[in-house]
Amino acid sequence: MADKRFVFIKDNKEDMEASRPSLTYWQDAWRRLKKNKLAMVGAFTIVMVLLFGIFGPSTTDYSYSDQLNKFKNLPPRLEIFHVEENLNFHLSNDYNIFLVTDKGEVYDRLEPDKNQRDMINKIYIYKYGTEDNFEEVVLDFSYNLLPTKQGYDYDFTIEYDGVVYTQPNDKVFNRTFPFGTDDLGRDILTRVMYGTRISLMIAFIATLVNLLIGVVYGSISGFEGGKIDEFMMRIVDIINSVPLMLYVILLMVTFKENDGLTNIIIALSTVYWVSMARLVRGQMLALKEQEFVLAASVIGVPKYKIIFRHLIPNAMGPIIVSMTMMIPSAVFTEAFLSFIGLGVSAPQASLGTLANNSLSGLLTYPYQLFFPALTIAIIILAFNFLGDGLRDALDPRLRKG
Amino acid sequence: MNGYYAKRILSALITLLIITTLTFVMMRSIPGGPFTRERPVPDEILKTLNEKYNLDAPMYEQYFDYIKGLVTFDLGPSYSKIGTTVNDLIISGFPASARIGLYATILIVIFGIPLGIISALKQNKPIDYLVMFMATLGVTVPSFVMATLIIYFFAGKLGILPSFGVTSPLGYVGPVLALSGYSLSFVARLTRSSMLEVLRQDYIRTARANGLSEFKVIYKHAIKNALIPVVTYLGPMIAAILTGSFVIEKIFAVPGMGRYFVESVGNRDYTTITGITVFYAAFYILMVLLVDIAYGFIDPRIKLGKEK
Amino acid sequence: MSKILEVKNLSTSFYTHMGEVQAVRGNSFSMEKGDILGIVGESGSGKSVTALSIMGLIDHPGKIKDGEIIFNGEVISTKNNEEMCKIRGKEISMIFQDPMTSLNPVFTIKNLMVEVIRRHQKVSKKKALEIAIDKLRMVGIPEPEKRIHAYPHEFSGGMRQRAMIATALSCNPKLLIADEPTTALDVTIQAQILEIMKKLASEIDTSIMIITHDLGVIAETCKHMIVMYGGMIMEKGTVDEIFHSPQHPYTRGLMNSVPRMDAAAKERLIPIPGSPPDLLNPPKGCPFSYRCPHAMEICKEEMAPTYKISDGHTSACWLIHLDAPDVEGYIKGCDIDAG
Repeated sequence: MADKRFVFIKDNKEDMEASRPSLTYWQDAWRRLKKNKLAMVGAFTIVMVLLFGIFGPSTTDYSYSDQLNKFKNLPPRLEIFHVEENLNFHLSNDYNIFLVTDKGEVYDRLEPDKNQRDMINKIYIYKYGTEDNFEEVVLDFSYNLLPTKQGYDYDFTIEYDGVVYTQPNDKVFNRTFPFGTDDLGRDILTRVMYGTRISLMIAFIATLVNLLIGVVYGSISGFEGGKIDEFMMRIVDIINSVPLMLYVILLMVTFKENDGLTNIIIALSTVYWVSMARLVRGQMLALKEQEFVLAASVIGVPKYKIIFRHLIPNAMGPIIVSMTMMIPSAVFTEAFLSFIGLGVSAPQASLGTLANNSLSGLLTYPYQLFFPALTIAIIILAFNFLGDGLRDALDPRLRKG
Repeated sequence: MNGYYAKRILSALITLLIITTLTFVMMRSIPGGPFTRERPVPDEILKTLNEKYNLDAPMYEQYFDYIKGLVTFDLGPSYSKIGTTVNDLIISGFPASARIGLYATILIVIFGIPLGIISALKQNKPIDYLVMFMATLGVTVPSFVMATLIIYFFAGKLGILPSFGVTSPLGYVGPVLALSGYSLSFVARLTRSSMLEVLRQDYIRTARANGLSEFKVIYKHAIKNALIPVVTYLGPMIAAILTGSFVIEKIFAVPGMGRYFVESVGNRDYTTITGITVFYAAFYILMVLLVDIAYGFIDPRIKLGKEK
Repeated sequence: MSKILEVKNLSTSFYTHMGEVQAVRGNSFSMEKGDILGIVGESGSGKSVTALSIMGLIDHPGKIKDGEIIFNGEVISTKNNEEMCKIRGKEISMIFQDPMTSLNPVFTIKNLMVEVIRRHQKVSKKKALEIAIDKLRMVGIPEPEKRIHAYPHEFSGGMRQRAMIATALSCNPKLLIADEPTTALDVTIQAQILEIMKKLASEIDTSIMIITHDLGVIAETCKHMIVMYGGMIMEKGTVDEIFHSPQHPYTRGLMNSVPRMDAAAKERLIPIPGSPPDLLNPPKGCPFSYRCPHAMEICKEEMAPTYKISDGHTSACWLIHLDAPDVEGYIKGCDIDAG
């Protein structure tokens, strides 16, 4: 008669444990981070950019400093005149005619025949083919220039094999130089990859050094407290009351004799540790009051061990977040310095120098700025996304929610 | 309370002295004198020059001379522009820098803060996403890229803005936009996150529990608290912006102080570098000080003189 | 006596990106005028959410999913925010746990209090200031004429909580909800604050709902109590009766984990093993069954009905069912509570 369901469960403990799995701080943070789509996109992008910078340069046919005089200022997207099966002409802004395959491979440049140049009428003759067996290509740029040739809706004509073309009739992507070439005929893709490598290298080294200085300085200041803390923080206050960019510039000027790359790393490494030191000090102040520190010092654990074994691991969350944010700002500063001409010296190139170099030809060759600038933006964006995600994941205040 | 401000001013002066000293020492420790050129200057001329600028005197004497000059606001002669003083350079360059900076600051305050507030109030709504998308772009694109893009599109493609110079009102549009882009975005983001943080606070819940209207809760109770970190950021930002961004001035060919600074860096014009640095730093410290004082009006807790 | 507050079948959920968090699940209770009701439970049991639901202060992404709240004969759960603004602070007031963070730091006490008073009463600024000073005096703040110009950070924790109470009572509300009013305070201050609340309530005829996890506070202050767990009411009744004869294993567990003056010297405190249920995926049956020392099969399958132990005492536990095995101290075979 009695309902079977009214029987005590013998071992209720198992269920109890299963009711909610307990996660460690890092497991929980990782779980939260994985759920954050933007952060994961950021992390993925960072990995891709790293691969791009580290392995990219060795996958192209050119090195960052190779100057191909023949192929200057070629854009990534070519406007072409289709003239024959697998033969296209690309007329560049400086009146060179490039030979392009149907797929978009640029393989040669035609030289104007110096003997047949008519400067007055703006007519140029190019020879296509071998010395003995060639076709003439006639480029006539006189339209709307000469008083006798007014009122046309095109400015030039290209004549080849009896056919006259007045405007490009097709567009292809540049297969030989996907990002185009710069004013010295260097492959921009290779240079952007190389620049990414240099920029990231500077950023990572500078961040690591800043991290080291900041953590050591901050933990000593916070842990020792009292007069030492006051003195150390006064120094930080002074450094903080200077526009840091100014000091980086001054430092760069002071070391001018050395190699630009080393300079920029030293300059960035010696200035930006201040915020890290403040952060770590704040964490130390809060953490050292906790019982586990007291317990450790009671049983005689030496100071430095308490700091490195107990305190710093507990402050790791905010440290990592701030480190993630430091990298993009280092990229930023580096680009800025290179841009005003204080960065790495030629032929080495960072993303900032690439952007700077492209300035003079901006209106004619905007793509030369576009690719390095885009890469800078992507790097900064990716680190920002990851940093935001890490902050949400590691912030203990939000853990309850 | 007065003691607190006196202490702040004193510490600002000490900071300025330290900065001056450091800059001075750094400039003097650069290998090669200010007259080292690619084509060596004849020894005799060099000697006269060194004598003229008292460069043969011992370092400490030069230093004290410099500090003496500084007290009377005399930053010394320029080494590269013979016949001009650093004061002249600052007087001629600062107004242009300051004007652009001022416009940019106004733009930042009247757009950045309201956008941040709107974004926070409409959290996770389309307008929030739009504002944050723009703001993220704004802090992601470096100012020099922004400047070149403005030139490319507005001056080059569309031809509605002059590509350099600030001779006409339209000429200001480019530099001001490029200069304010980053900070505007940053202020919008900061205001938003600060506002969201404040809206989560217990005292906002208390205000609601006391039956205050939503309008009052937000525009009286939340905003005043939310602006505290924004004001903290604005101080140094205004200083940095008002004194001009070197890059923007270079790109738009604005005859400002930043341009002189970049030039003097190239020319190793030590007095100009030191002078402009000291001027920048003094201005910066002054702004931070002003912000601290303004702080006292917004945040009553600061009056205790407690430094966090 | 008539009812000041009736909560019928209240369910409140938070719709997070991880899913629906069912913070309060179908609770009903009521409060008489002049009563002091205690709601007890551990954190996450839904007691604060219940209070915020009454206040109409459930923030996005939370929502009152179901049920009705009747205050003073008027349904308030359907009112919009604007209408509720006129009730909050005037008819129903609430004070919060942490006085350190619950007062806006950038305004003076005067500023905060006068604003609330003038919001709900048509009085001059001068009159409002008088009311404010008067209330501060009532809550035992010395020299209120002077102290009212202070900022919150210039007050100690106990003083701030007094100021909070003074603000909450400034419009003589009919109901005061106190969410863990003493948790953040020193023990000596705790007793004072509770005393002030009790005294004031009787002076201005205010009913009080105290939310706490401290049974001591309940025993000291309240007439009735509700025990909540996992968003549900486990047991409710008069304080005397529940303390004398608790009819739910969770209530017993709570009591065993509190030190008692009359306990034998060697008696140990018994903690309740395990942790509170996940309200994202609440268990099908009784939320406490996973930690219950007397869990039965049925407990995990179905929530127990509410049994009426006596007139003022109900318990939602299967142990009351006739078929359940005998456990010492539990009264078996009660009727199911109809109301």
